Amino acid sequence: MTDTPADDKGAPAPPTYGEQRRRVPEPEGEPRLRRAEDELRARFAEELQEGEETQDRVPSSREAIVELEHVSLAFDRPILEDVSLVVRRGETVVIAGESGTGKSTTLKLILRLLRPDSGRVIVDGEVINDVTYEEALIIRQKMGMVFQGAALFDSMSVFENVAFPLREHTQLTDDEIEARVREKLEFVDLDPDRVMGQLPAELSGGMKKRVGIARGMAANPAIMLYDEPTSGLDPLTTGTITRLIMKLQRELKVTSVVVSHDIRSAFRMATKIALLAERHIVFFGSPEDMTASQDRYVQDFLGGV
Amino acid sequence: MAGFLTSINEGAKLRVLAVQEYFGLAAKAIRFIVARPFYVGDVIQQMDAIGVQSLGIVLLTGFFTGMVLALQTSVQMAQFGATMYIGRLVTASMVRELGPVLAAILVAGRVGSGIAAQIGSMRVTEQIDALNTLGVDPIKKLVTPRLIAALIMLPVLTILSDTVGIGGGNVIATVYVGIPVGLYWRTVWEQIASGGFILHYIPSDFVQGLVKPFVFGGIIAVTGCFFGINTKGGTEGVGNATTRTVVVASVLILVVDYFLTQVLLFLFG
Repeated sequence: MTDTPADDKGAPAPPTYGEQRRRVPEPEGEPRLRRAEDELRARFAEELQEGEETQDRVPSSREAIVELEHVSLAFDRPILEDVSLVVRRGETVVIAGESGTGKSTTLKLILRLLRPDSGRVIVDGEVINDVTYEEALIIRQKMGMVFQGAALFDSMSVFENVAFPLREHTQLTDDEIEARVREKLEFVDLDPDRVMGQLPAELSGGMKKRVGIARGMAANPAIMLYDEPTSGLDPLTTGTITRLIMKLQRELKVTSVVVSHDIRSAFRMATKIALLAERHIVFFGSPEDMTASQDRYVQDFLGGV
Repeated sequence: MAGFLTSINEGAKLRVLAVQEYFGLAAKAIRFIVARPFYVGDVIQQMDAIGVQSLGIVLLTGFFTGMVLALQTSVQMAQFGATMYIGRLVTASMVRELGPVLAAILVAGRVGSGIAAQIGSMRVTEQIDALNTLGVDPIKKLVTPRLIAALIMLPVLTILSDTVGIGGGNVIATVYVGIPVGLYWRTVWEQIASGGFILHYIPSDFVQGLVKPFVFGGIIAVTGCFFGINTKGGTEGVGNATTRTVVVASVLILVVDYFLTQVLLFLFG
């Protein structure tokens, strides 16, 4: 099993693949770098602090639960090349990057909706590259997925949406299912009595996302996957959704993989951030390591240049 | 020239692949009919959407088709003084051919397009991906209930269409031509009985008339689901999926009808 760089604490992080490729001579030397680092730290200070609090409460175990080993995938053009990533139990890993860099594809590989051309995808100790379609359906039950547009079943009420995975995969009675649905809706700060009978079309964007999270976590999966959970939301709702993801990690110890280009939210929730660019992971490490990174691309990404 | 041939080759490959996927989808949906869990609620909901909600349009067109058949045959039969056989002709046409085909074409337009639009919308809003990620096979959840509902409801709709069609013929035969109601229905029965009976009680015309809508129901459901599941390109893709469903299902119904008639005539005469 190959771990990714900048994963071990203590020793200084070795240069990432991106750093090796992209590091350019700094004409004005160290002082300028330090200034840039300080600026980044100041800009993300609040998020880093909040993130540290989260991590303090959830000591990440060393057991890997999702692994990508030298994964490559191409359709009509290469999407991912030699991508390696380790997500340990209890961690929240944010996969960030520009649009079209293969972030959502990475989630689809973890869900085995796609199969890599080479390399291995390992979920909970099981290599899922060559599992059958039926086996993949069973493996996916370990994961809860929250889609960018929530992807709620529009012909079903909120209650039916959240109850769906319970009806499909558990032997719970109707009363137990209702209790579980209420619990999950309350967890995502929705009033069950008010929303359970509503159809998705009657909900706001933020409420849909919250119901999507409730549905994803209904069957208590070990891993939660989020595809752009805060995209298209106003800043306040973005904060609410980000806090929810952190709450899931903190209170339920759920491992999360979040695809997002919202770096501010990423800093708040992430144990580690993987930055994808040009088919490769150019950075993988903690938010602190990211702000300290001397990689020009990482700095550009954080600075929004 | 080489580029042209390559593009033809690629196009042919894609079409063969699409046909293979179509039959693959049909085979999987049929296999799931007998596999747990059974989505009984979904089947009933689809039976309502496919059958009950299509009832009005199917009955209306069936009634007028029966009337126009009686009207046309009365003109022709009058030349031979054989207007009393209007009932036989209306019955033979409705039960064997027009009832099944008309009901199927109407349902293809009304329900097939609806299935494609609904499943296509689910595809573009990631609801089908959501089913997959929730560990549920979309074919089992979406296609099989619609297939079962169509297989049951098309024959039911056809029986009703045949009945009101023959009734419509009765109206014209009695009001316009002056044939007594009793005589009309006696000729109807003579026609039904003339093809003989299967297992002593089931008129062979009924079997022929019910095998067709059963097959057509399958065509409508699978075609709608196939184009729905393969929808690409947002709302425009949904529009294309509905159009293609109606065209392909209607053409398939008419083509399959011919071959099915050949087989049924060979088997039952």
